[in-house]
Amino acid sequence: MPQGDYIELHRKRYGYRPDHFERKRKKEAREVHKRSTIAQKALGIKGKMFAKKRYAEKAQMKKTLAMHEESSSRRKVDDDVHEGAVPAYLLDRDNTTRAKVLSNTIKQKRKEKAGKWEVPLPKVRPVAEDEMFKVLRTGKRKTKQWKRMVTKATFVGAGFTRKPPKYERFIRPTGLRFTKAHVTHPELKCTFNLEIIGVKKNPNGQMYTSLGVLTKGTIIEVNVSELGLVTPAGKVVWGKYAQVTNNPENDGCVNACLLV
Amino acid sequence: MVQYNFKKITVVPNGKDFIDIILSRTQRQTPTVVHKGYAISRLRQFYMRKVKFTQQNFYDKLSTIIDEFPRLDDIHPFYGDLLHVLYNKDHYKLALGQVNTARNLISKIAKDYVKLLKYGDSLYRCKCLKVAALGRMCTVIKRIGPSLAYLEQIRQHMARLPSIDPNTRTILICGYPNVGKSSFINKITRADVDVQPYAFTTKSLFVGHTDYKYLRYQVIDTPGILDRPFEDRNIIEMCSITALAHLRAAVLFFLDISGSCGYSIAQQAALFHSIKSLFMNKPLIIVCNKTDLLPLEGISEEDRNLVMEMKAEAMKTVIGQGGEAANDEGVLLTMSALTEEGVIAVKNAACERLLDQRVEMKMKSKKLNDCLNRFHVAMPKPRDQKERPPCIPQAVLEARAKQAAEKEKKKTERDLENENGGAGVYSASLKKNYILANDEWKEDILPEILDGHNVCDYIDPDILQRLEELEREEGLRQAEEADEDFEMDGQELTPEEQKALAEIRRKKSLLIQQHRIKKSTAESRPTVPRKFDKDREFTSERMGRQLSSLGLDPTMAINRARSRSLSRRGRKRERSLDRGDTDGDAMDMDTDTLNKKLRTRSRSLSMSRSRSRSRPPTEASPGEGFKDSAQKSKAIKIAKKAVKIRNKNARRGEADRVIPTLKPKHLYSGKRSTGKTQRR
Repeated sequence: MPQGDYIELHRKRYGYRPDHFERKRKKEAREVHKRSTIAQKALGIKGKMFAKKRYAEKAQMKKTLAMHEESSSRRKVDDDVHEGAVPAYLLDRDNTTRAKVLSNTIKQKRKEKAGKWEVPLPKVRPVAEDEMFKVLRTGKRKTKQWKRMVTKATFVGAGFTRKPPKYERFIRPTGLRFTKAHVTHPELKCTFNLEIIGVKKNPNGQMYTSLGVLTKGTIIEVNVSELGLVTPAGKVVWGKYAQVTNNPENDGCVNACLLV
Repeated sequence: MVQYNFKKITVVPNGKDFIDIILSRTQRQTPTVVHKGYAISRLRQFYMRKVKFTQQNFYDKLSTIIDEFPRLDDIHPFYGDLLHVLYNKDHYKLALGQVNTARNLISKIAKDYVKLLKYGDSLYRCKCLKVAALGRMCTVIKRIGPSLAYLEQIRQHMARLPSIDPNTRTILICGYPNVGKSSFINKITRADVDVQPYAFTTKSLFVGHTDYKYLRYQVIDTPGILDRPFEDRNIIEMCSITALAHLRAAVLFFLDISGSCGYSIAQQAALFHSIKSLFMNKPLIIVCNKTDLLPLEGISEEDRNLVMEMKAEAMKTVIGQGGEAANDEGVLLTMSALTEEGVIAVKNAACERLLDQRVEMKMKSKKLNDCLNRFHVAMPKPRDQKERPPCIPQAVLEARAKQAAEKEKKKTERDLENENGGAGVYSASLKKNYILANDEWKEDILPEILDGHNVCDYIDPDILQRLEELEREEGLRQAEEADEDFEMDGQELTPEEQKALAEIRRKKSLLIQQHRIKKSTAESRPTVPRKFDKDREFTSERMGRQLSSLGLDPTMAINRARSRSLSRRGRKRERSLDRGDTDGDAMDMDTDTLNKKLRTRSRSLSMSRSRSRSRPPTEASPGEGFKDSAQKSKAIKIAKKAVKIRNKNARRGEADRVIPTLKPKHLYSGKRSTGKTQRR
């Protein structure tokens, strides 16, 4: 019974078989042809997968080659100015960052009052009412058509209780309710799973805002206490606005970009 | 059964392959064609199926990984520790834990997305949700990629571990590096371990098997151990320590007394004392190896003291097992693996002591009591000093003695051959063993061919016996023939008797004939009641003839029959005689005439003349397909003959009424809609 590294042991004792290296060389040489046959023959998903893999390999190869060439070739040093770089004559000046932050907060307040923000998605596709709602037929003979069901993802506050069915005009199905959002901090370039506090504004209309509908471009308020952000005054910020960047009803999750 | 060879674990694919396998399986094994126009419930179902299917596959694959990798706490502690030493328990558990978490995450994702799919209202939306679900599952798997790679490596390594059974008879070889452990195992087993003149040639445990007294022993070769603190020991040494700690085995501590391994006896003794706690309760043998370089007697005084000290230590294990202190053989042995001197002795001593110990253990165990109290060997106590040997009759003793003497006396052919000049000179006589009536005939010369005939053809050893048999048979036959002569013959009878006999015989043959005819006629058509006797065979005249031939007066019977005959059917009652003539005398006088008149009238009533005669059945009419009436009658005959037997047996024929299925399925099963039970 062979045990341990028996192949190594055998090689140590008896060496490689005489044609081992030649076989190896030939196998390597044939490899190209073999790969080409596969590439030509593979169909469907297999073919796609193979092509993609091969493409990635080739791109990597090119990059490596370029890197090797770079080390040997001569060229000019790039003169791009780095961010935050200051010319020599300005080096001794103080930065006025604090003042700027202050003015920022004032600006933000103004904007908030006006209900306008500079947002990553300034324009969104309008959503028609019949896309947003599905008409439910009610009554014993199903003739009444005053009831609507929201077909998009919604946010519903924790303390919400449904009205009696007779008075409930809009139904927000529990399966489409979301309480958490994946919020990306654009400067930190990282994403957090944060709780949604409320829907600030839905670009499609006031009614959707009050219903808490989450569509692409909706401004939501998220709980950022986990992030430990601090206001210039030193207070801990716990609510911040973010804009939804995906279609939650299609993706099954809410992705948002933090507004800073 | 605990799995001790880890060769059956399924391959763990790496993260990328894993995803490819699962996704391509989803693609292959779920429907792929869907159209916008389908009902929304069908669309939802289509995509839900994909999500669920993918999740199930992920779940199955991850579950096999979790189930098949051994749990370190459940397997034998030897393997548990060995795996810990080789792969690090924490890392191993962490990897399996991650796989488990991934499995749960994937299940949760699938659940969520199936829930969302229920609200999907278009093909596009359902498809987006499916893509998102599958994507998230794949991401989870991608994250555990390193764990999968680690598990695959472990799997490959585990498959190469020697299959050691921790509970069987085991001999364990340990000692400093390069003292000749592997050489020894190569000598006594077929393990074929690599032997090299440098330390740590053996880097892992090796197993070989050897036989002693028809029992199989497992021999384990361990890597060398250095004398240093436990924490400093490397993985290779820890393998040895694990084996020493957990296997109940006979331990052979190898000692290189020549010092050619690079370690002095003092160093080796130090190692012995530092790990002696591992030898507790195990048969321990100290083997002084390489005696071809330096015999045990040739070592210096100090070293001898050290060796003796070790021996004393090893003796403790003997005493611990209930052995005698004086019995020190098989504790310190010398051998040389090079010259094979003492190798077998060492093996035998180890096996013997191990076997003793195991038997001892079994005797002590509680289980044995269950067996032991079932059997009992009675040893009667002597009641006095008298000797009571078994009583053997004199005759038996003599017979035995005689038999023994005979056995001795009997000369074999070989003896004869040796006496008479040996092989080649002596020729054995085949004739002397012939079994003949007379011993003198043995040497007689019998010709094979006599007068041109083979003698053998004319020899019949039991000819006399057969002759005797034949004669006896003949006698019997003759006696029988004599008996048969007494048969009846017509000669002795009187003429009257002869006449009666002839009559009887005639009647008998007639009866037989009639019976035959009857049988054949009955065979040819169904037995019918007499009322259908169309051919008027059974007439009253015939009955009268028969009765008179029997010597009876038939008138009464005939009258009775006639009174009930066919011609009077159809009339209920005779007309009242009062209507005609009222006087009682007329009765006697007129009876016959009345009857006759009535009869004629009734006949005239019953037979209508208006009907034409029907065509005889044998007459051929055009259109029937017969050439002439002869052919038709023949055809009718054949047809009748064909159904004859069937009719006789009252079997079903093709002309019978047929109801193909008595209970048609469609009328008796399932729900009944409108309509009647009979027809629907």
